[in-house]
Amino acid sequence: MTTDAPTRRHPLPIEDASAWILRTGVICSAAVMLMGILFSFVHGRTSLDRMQSDPFEYRPGVIWQGIVHGRGKSIIEAGIYLLLLTPILRVATSVVLFALEERDWLYTIITLTVLLLTLAGLLWLG
Amino acid sequence: MNPTAQSLLWLSEVAAASFAGGIVGSISGLGGGIVIVPVLTIFLHIPIDKAIAASIVSIIATSSGAGAVYVRDRITNIRIAMFLELFTAAGALVGAGLLAGHVHPRLLDVLFALVLLVSLLPVFAKLGEELPQNVQNDRLASRLKLNSSYFDKHLDKRVVYNVAGVPVATFIMLGAGLISGLLGIGSGVVKVLAQEIAMKLPTKVSTATSNFMIGVTAAAGAGVYLRRGWVLPYLVVPVAVAVLAGAWLGTLLMERMSNNLVRKIFALVLAVIGIQMLLRGLGVTS
Repeated sequence: MTTDAPTRRHPLPIEDASAWILRTGVICSAAVMLMGILFSFVHGRTSLDRMQSDPFEYRPGVIWQGIVHGRGKSIIEAGIYLLLLTPILRVATSVVLFALEERDWLYTIITLTVLLLTLAGLLWLG
Repeated sequence: MNPTAQSLLWLSEVAAASFAGGIVGSISGLGGGIVIVPVLTIFLHIPIDKAIAASIVSIIATSSGAGAVYVRDRITNIRIAMFLELFTAAGALVGAGLLAGHVHPRLLDVLFALVLLVSLLPVFAKLGEELPQNVQNDRLASRLKLNSSYFDKHLDKRVVYNVAGVPVATFIMLGAGLISGLLGIGSGVVKVLAQEIAMKLPTKVSTATSNFMIGVTAAAGAGVYLRRGWVLPYLVVPVAVAVLAGAWLGTLLMERMSNNLVRKIFALVLAVIGIQMLLRGLGVTS
């Protein structure tokens, strides 16, 4: 490990960046999701039947419209997106750090491929 | 009962079950999804496909929470994780994109029960108690610079390790990803076993690295579930938040108990649940 050598210390180790992204992402998404539940009850029109059947709306434009109108379900959907993006953002950051900090092209390609694979389901495979 | 109270009651029931599942999952060492799906389907009668969809999103939260701690403490091997994620993510895409939605719920029950029961074996068979010795790096491991070291707090020394069996592990990871995408679980036990038995990694490294990989595996599969509208947002919130809270409490309890007996009792409870699921899948019970 390079941490033993003081001459080659990375300003931002991948480990610390990853830990920060994972922690922050999970906390934020949980907070947003709970806020969505709160809004659902404030607006009051959330029957049990709809809770057990209304599916996830994946189009960001529709979610955004819902948030503007204060719809609880849309806020929850934003929180779920935030949760999904947490590990994806962790991988994206690793791509950048492997390329710029470590200058390790093999791992830049590996992490970039992982990034494309994690996005594939959401963007193309549906 | 008025509609609001009815909705609140349902959310609380799901949250309570998920909280308990989070505690059991973390103490038994099995993780969130594999406990949550049976609990939701058997006790709350939530259809298994809905439970699986909620689970695959929720385990991103639990694995990221635990993953953050291990990676900060430098126990996780980032290179191994990144390389193996190629295979778990590809497997998850196949499992979620091609298989999920085409499997009969009864068959899902049976598959799930089998994975659960097999996952329980390592709890009873003592594995990875001591550090692996005399491991040689294989060619891929050298090429990918997978060997590394970590500081073991328990042993109070730095443990240096080599990595073997990488090609075999990639195949197992493909399968682990496939199971994740199809059943909505992290397949943590499969990942840990592949790293301990095939790659000869120290237990702590394999646990930490597996946890780190689960988030990415689940995200690849969850993308498909979200895009296809299989995920119920109102089910995800109580499951994700409560499992996270339960897993966190479970970890705290573990530190105090450090008692193998408790682990085994929890595992026995899970075995009963697994058998119940198997019987339901086979049509013996309804």
